[in-house]
Amino acid sequence: MALYDTEEQGFSRRLVLLGGLQAGLFTVLAGRLQFLQIARSDVYATLAEANRVNISQISAIRGRITDRNGKLLADNDRNFQIRMVPERVADIDATLRDLAHILKLSPAEVFNIRRKIARGPSFKPVVILEDLSWDDFSRFNLDLPYLSGVEPVVGQKRVYPDAHSVAHLVGFVGAKTREDLQRVGRIVGDNVGRSGVERDYENDLRGTPGVRHVEVNAVGRTVRELQSDPGEKGRDLSLSIDLDLQKYANERLKGHSGSVVVMDIHSGELVSMVSAPSFDLNMLSRGIDVTEWEKLVDHERKPLVNKSMRGLYAPGSTFKMLVALAALEDKLIEPDERIDCTGVFGFANEEFHCWRSEGHGEMNMVDALERSCDTYFYHLALRVGINRIEAMAKRFGFGEVTGIDLDGEKGGTVPGRDWKRANYDSGWRSGETIITAIGQGYLLTTPLQLAVMTASLANGGKLVTPRITRITEAEAPATELALKPEHLAVVQRGMYRAVNRPDGTAYGSSLLINGARMSGKTGTVQVRRISKDERLNGVIPNSKLDWHLRDHSLFVGYVPHNKPRYAVSVVIEHGGGGAQVAAPIARDIMVQLLRKTQAEPERELAAEQADEARL
Amino acid sequence: MSYQARSGRLGQLVSLNLLHAPLMVISILLGLVGVMVLYSVAGGDFAPWAWRHAVRLAVGFLLMYAIANLDLRTLFNLAYPIFGGIFLLLVAVEVFGDTNMGAQRWLDLGFVTIQPSEFMRFALIMALARYYHTLHRDDVSQPFGLLVPLAMIGVPSLLVLGQPDLGTALMLAASGLGVVFLAGVSMRYFIGGIIAAVAAVPVGWNYLRDYQKERVLVFLDPERDPLGAGYHIIQSKIGIGSGGLFGKGLAQGTQSQLKFLPERHTDFVFAIYAEELGFVGSFLLIFMFALLIFLMFSIANQMRHRFSQLMIAGFGFALSIYVIVNLAMVMGLAPVVGVPLPFISYGGTSLLTFMAGIGVILAMERQPLADLPK
Repeated sequence: MALYDTEEQGFSRRLVLLGGLQAGLFTVLAGRLQFLQIARSDVYATLAEANRVNISQISAIRGRITDRNGKLLADNDRNFQIRMVPERVADIDATLRDLAHILKLSPAEVFNIRRKIARGPSFKPVVILEDLSWDDFSRFNLDLPYLSGVEPVVGQKRVYPDAHSVAHLVGFVGAKTREDLQRVGRIVGDNVGRSGVERDYENDLRGTPGVRHVEVNAVGRTVRELQSDPGEKGRDLSLSIDLDLQKYANERLKGHSGSVVVMDIHSGELVSMVSAPSFDLNMLSRGIDVTEWEKLVDHERKPLVNKSMRGLYAPGSTFKMLVALAALEDKLIEPDERIDCTGVFGFANEEFHCWRSEGHGEMNMVDALERSCDTYFYHLALRVGINRIEAMAKRFGFGEVTGIDLDGEKGGTVPGRDWKRANYDSGWRSGETIITAIGQGYLLTTPLQLAVMTASLANGGKLVTPRITRITEAEAPATELALKPEHLAVVQRGMYRAVNRPDGTAYGSSLLINGARMSGKTGTVQVRRISKDERLNGVIPNSKLDWHLRDHSLFVGYVPHNKPRYAVSVVIEHGGGGAQVAAPIARDIMVQLLRKTQAEPERELAAEQADEARL
Repeated sequence: MSYQARSGRLGQLVSLNLLHAPLMVISILLGLVGVMVLYSVAGGDFAPWAWRHAVRLAVGFLLMYAIANLDLRTLFNLAYPIFGGIFLLLVAVEVFGDTNMGAQRWLDLGFVTIQPSEFMRFALIMALARYYHTLHRDDVSQPFGLLVPLAMIGVPSLLVLGQPDLGTALMLAASGLGVVFLAGVSMRYFIGGIIAAVAAVPVGWNYLRDYQKERVLVFLDPERDPLGAGYHIIQSKIGIGSGGLFGKGLAQGTQSQLKFLPERHTDFVFAIYAEELGFVGSFLLIFMFALLIFLMFSIANQMRHRFSQLMIAGFGFALSIYVIVNLAMVMGLAPVVGVPLPFISYGGTSLLTFMAGIGVILAMERQPLADLPK
């Protein structure tokens, strides 16, 4: 074969073959390049941006909650935290070892941190430590350059300067749950209001979260801050509560289980709303362990329940005013008509007892209210009938929520013929009307409803809507109950006497501050059946009964008697007689309130006596 | 003129304008692109890579020019000794080599560390071209004519594989086989060889190191380990894709500047280039490589000596598989094997051997009619 083989077809063919293969592969590469850089460019640009830019949201400073005078009920404090993005930590064990060394963590604390890290997805920042002291926090910051994937964060924490007295109203914040996300949408930051105002006004308090864009490198270190929007601070919220009074009421309820509601009778603003026993908001806000929590939940006296609006109690004798009004409205009785009380009222083979077994004698309406004569109202019940009682109770807002600006309120029960049919599938019995007339039986009300009722009696027959926040200046509309002033006057006179006359059931709780007196009505609600035997041998006194068998003690009232301004309702669960327990509490609270508000000079005795005569 | 030997007077250097200008210009341009990208990778700094790359490029240019001056006969006579010498170096690596990142690849000669496996590719192609030059056409597909080249390819490849350096070993074997193919060995053997290779895959799998297996598995599914082995592929694709049509600008690539990309100055250098110069720049670069290879093939086709034909085309083929495998890997079309991008990736041995190869081609192209012994 020739050495210089210029016509070597074979080599050329192979060259073309190989060249073709390469051309094909280069075409594939160009196609791939086109796919990555043109067709999918936006996708990859987004991914690169996601790599580069770490968008972190800054929760806005939560709005503060104050009482009506600007005293802080819920405030914010700095919360020194250490956060970790697990996937950015090269060696979690080593980092935790270092942290434990720097902050002197116990093995148990380290174990808890591990659990927190394990719980979430690795790309999400986890707060591994919080509530650090300034010393620990600065020590951590000093060593920060040697730690990767952890960062110091100055967060917010909620503090409640007065953690007990406003617990049910203000509520607390806690870790968000799935349910919260559905309720308020996306939540930035870890905490969300879990109860009370904190929960119901979450959207106002939370503000608008800010956004921080920082450029980070591959190991997660911040290179620079790109842009930052601090967000908008949450709205400060002022409650209608007077903290001093609230604290006093809370203190006064110590040892009891019950509720105090104090309301402005014209605006419906709640000056005080206390539920006892209470709990420590700060403890719940910080996070509480399961056993402590269960202890609170299972406690016999239900500290977590806001009894003022969620507790249901038969109103007892505090209901008598409405029966009286129902009778007066349809002229079924004249106020002066006298009914004889012998202590027992027989009806259809049943005996109904007056609380005073020896009887009250001849009673007119004012007397019956003053002395809380049951027999008088047994008679009245039969004249008025359940339909009118039911209608009057509903006019005063019973059986339905009052519309207070807090979630979770209960409406209670107003029994009637239809109600009985629907719930018990049986007809109404007249004996039940008799029981209902003294506020027992099926009737169930909340302390808040009782306060609203009392306000309506005191303000001339307007049904106001109670409110706890002062978000709008406009007052909630009041419903005119269309009650005759002279009818209301009779009831008011009875309530005045009940407190201020020696024969009144609450005479022991009368007060006089700068000429202002209190009007009111006691209520004692039996929670057990008293057998015939017991009646014969003498009713066992409350003090000898187990706590949960004792009577509920109630009192409703308003001050001042002559120019009403505030209504109060006190319910003490199993407290005993209304006069013995609830009324003194109401008096003490009203004294506090009047001392605060009645700056007027002492009125002249003459004017005082004129009032006496009128009532 | 192309069939006329171009040379200066005896004892004088060949004037640069007598050399194949496009070949020279494109390879130097590619080297300069390397300098530019390495400058950018360092965040707009000539240190630590770009200036060294530039110096090496200058040295490489001198080397290329020096080789281009060599007489074709000298190259022909040197083919076997060079192969033998590099082969010995390869053995020396096996015995004395420095272990670097778990593989023995480097030979420390005291003043410079070299990677004999890189030189081997060049020496192997030349030695094979020399072999086929003297082998009679009819013997190419004969048993003896087959065995010698296969040994010449196989032994050094196995040595490199044992370092272990799978990527370089595969490249070396493929480069050698490219020459065998060009030499005209019967197609049957190649078809048979491909079938045998495919059949051997399951067996070969067991011989792969764990990290190599992992690379293959991750290539098949990068999400398998997005923060570990798959990280390279994912981040590289993000870098390239986010470059878009015109790129983010030199030293502006967020993927590279913020160090999301691995091996930015070596094997994955194209990802940075593509991120910062976009589709336009990347396409241009691929086009330059394709043009360079095309030029080599067309020069090879004009050669009359089998030695020149096979050396030039074989070198062109070796260059093309380096480029193709590297780009395919960076763009997520091939598993991650340690293959640098010729002329651009940082690395002295790689740059120098490719420049030397260009020098050989220039010398051959200059002397198409020189006398060669049979």
